[in-house]
Amino acid sequence: MAELLALRNIEKIYGRVVPIPALRGVSLTVAEGEYTALIGRSGSGKSTLLNIIGTLDRPTSGEIAFDGRDLFAQDDDTLALFRNRSLGFIFQYHYLLPEFTAQENVLLPYRIFHGRAEGAVVRRARELIDRVGVGRRMNNRSTTLSGGEQQRIAIARALINNPRLILADEPTGNLDHETGEAVKTLLREINREMKTTFLVVTHDRHIAAGCDRVVEIDDGRIVSDMRTADFSEDENWRRLAPCHCRERRDGPSA
Amino acid sequence: MFNLHVAFRFLREGRSQTALILFGITLGIAVQVFLNSLIVGLQRNLIEQTVGSSPHLTASMPDLVPSPLLPAEDGKPVLTRVVSNEGNVKPIRDGAFLIDQLRKTRAFTVINPVARGSGFVLQGNKSLPIVLQGFDLEAADRLYEIRSRVTSGRFEVGGNKVLVGKELAAKLRLDIGGSLRITVPSGATDLFTVGGIFDLESQPVNETWVVISLARAQILYGLEGGLTEIELQVDDVFSAARQAKDLRRSFDGLQWLSWQETNAALLSALRSQSSSSYMIQLFVLLSVTLGIASVLAVSVVQKSRQIGILKALGTRTRSVGRIFIVQGAVLGLAGSLLGTLAGWGLIKLFMTLRTSAGGAGLFPIRVEFGALAVSVAVATAAGTLAAFLPARRAARLNPIEVIRNG
Repeated sequence: MAELLALRNIEKIYGRVVPIPALRGVSLTVAEGEYTALIGRSGSGKSTLLNIIGTLDRPTSGEIAFDGRDLFAQDDDTLALFRNRSLGFIFQYHYLLPEFTAQENVLLPYRIFHGRAEGAVVRRARELIDRVGVGRRMNNRSTTLSGGEQQRIAIARALINNPRLILADEPTGNLDHETGEAVKTLLREINREMKTTFLVVTHDRHIAAGCDRVVEIDDGRIVSDMRTADFSEDENWRRLAPCHCRERRDGPSA
Repeated sequence: MFNLHVAFRFLREGRSQTALILFGITLGIAVQVFLNSLIVGLQRNLIEQTVGSSPHLTASMPDLVPSPLLPAEDGKPVLTRVVSNEGNVKPIRDGAFLIDQLRKTRAFTVINPVARGSGFVLQGNKSLPIVLQGFDLEAADRLYEIRSRVTSGRFEVGGNKVLVGKELAAKLRLDIGGSLRITVPSGATDLFTVGGIFDLESQPVNETWVVISLARAQILYGLEGGLTEIELQVDDVFSAARQAKDLRRSFDGLQWLSWQETNAALLSALRSQSSSSYMIQLFVLLSVTLGIASVLAVSVVQKSRQIGILKALGTRTRSVGRIFIVQGAVLGLAGSLLGTLAGWGLIKLFMTLRTSAGGAGLFPIRVEFGALAVSVAVATAAGTLAAFLPARRAARLNPIEVIRNG
């Protein structure tokens, strides 16, 4: 599989007076189509890493190449365009715009780039909303949707521009168990159907166990990197069990 | 395009906030429009009363300057006797030519040739001072509106027929056909017949004016076909001073005076009134602008989640700013449109109340489309300007802050 993302020695230090290192030299490559889980305790730096990959934050040092292109050599406007065209975001708190309906929210990334949305893309938005199972409520104001429905709409929104990479930060972290399971399954299905690359930050070892690859971060460093296909299901479960994802689901995110 | 859509959606969703600030802008602009129309109406009325029925420009010959016959040479004292020539009238000799030239410029709505002088009406022991107005009746009527204000008799002069003012007629107990004896400073005395009585709604005029034909006045004062003055009116009263300047250049033998020069006190009063009115309007506009700015500043904080997500999804910094600029402009435009409407209503109300309370309206207030358009344009610009700071704040917002803090 072709290499989509390559991180070289990423460091991130917060604070000027008292420097607090969040990432201490992270190097990682992600192949196209891969479904990777990023696990670790609160404060381990996994969300920081995700935000840096999402170009929402700049690293203190290090490089990220996306499809061979050095991301942080670009200016802010180019990065905004990059986020719009090549990335899909799924956040823990769904982050739909309350002023817009479900369908309008799904169309946001398209409209940010194209201005208007008509014909084919509107049909595609409807298909995606159907696909994530909220078809009946696509014209409802997003605030009237349940948490699970909002997260599904956010998934459809992440997909509308056919991104190469989807970044998900605790996508099930704010949902009850049953809904979380459904969302988890949905993400996996989309990965298989559309061959979209996924990078999922999670506390949930159920999610982690269902991924192609699990990368564990602790104290700003990668401490383990394993492929679930290399081990039996029981072995995976055993390996993931002692990891630091036993916090409550509604606990603080890092 | 999309920015516009988001801006409108933000305004629509912030209903009560949008409604409140719109109400504020409407109120401010309404006051501004009302005040402006009131002051402009008042001033226009004052000027109309001052110059409506009087000349805007007057041409006359400059008084003769007494001068010695022998000019003094350097270092040689010369004894001379200077005779004051006070009372000598120096007429405009080439009146017909001048009027022709003035007519050709097409700059004047009224050109009134005048032979004017003082005199006395003698009746028994009474001797009343008068002003004899030698008029071309048609031209003079365009300026002074005499025809419509003739209360009895006929609007005509000629031979020894004259028109006299109401008060003068009353004092002399004159009626149509009555005769009056007039003496002029040169000593000439003649007998005239009252052909009509007018009421020009001004006590001094009604008391002193005796209108006779231009030709008769020229003979009476020995002007030999000359004129004492040429009175002019122009379309735009405020252009009179400029016209006077031009005329001084073209006809430098004459003395040209505009109404502005003879009413300097009035003009300075009007100017200070205008400037205080502008001052109030400026502060009203300033508070409108600050209102918009503060509402948008609050809105940026309220919408920081939305701004963060829009930026995360790839909205460029500039576009985020534009969302708020558009909101400022829309608030300014919508508020000022409503405000001009409300201001117009306020004026209507004011006029109705005033007429019902005090009978006839004191002065008419005209709402000028141009002034309203200026109000709308300025308020829209102010709204746009007010949005700049909030917009910059929104543009600079770091999506990470929002995403990290939930």
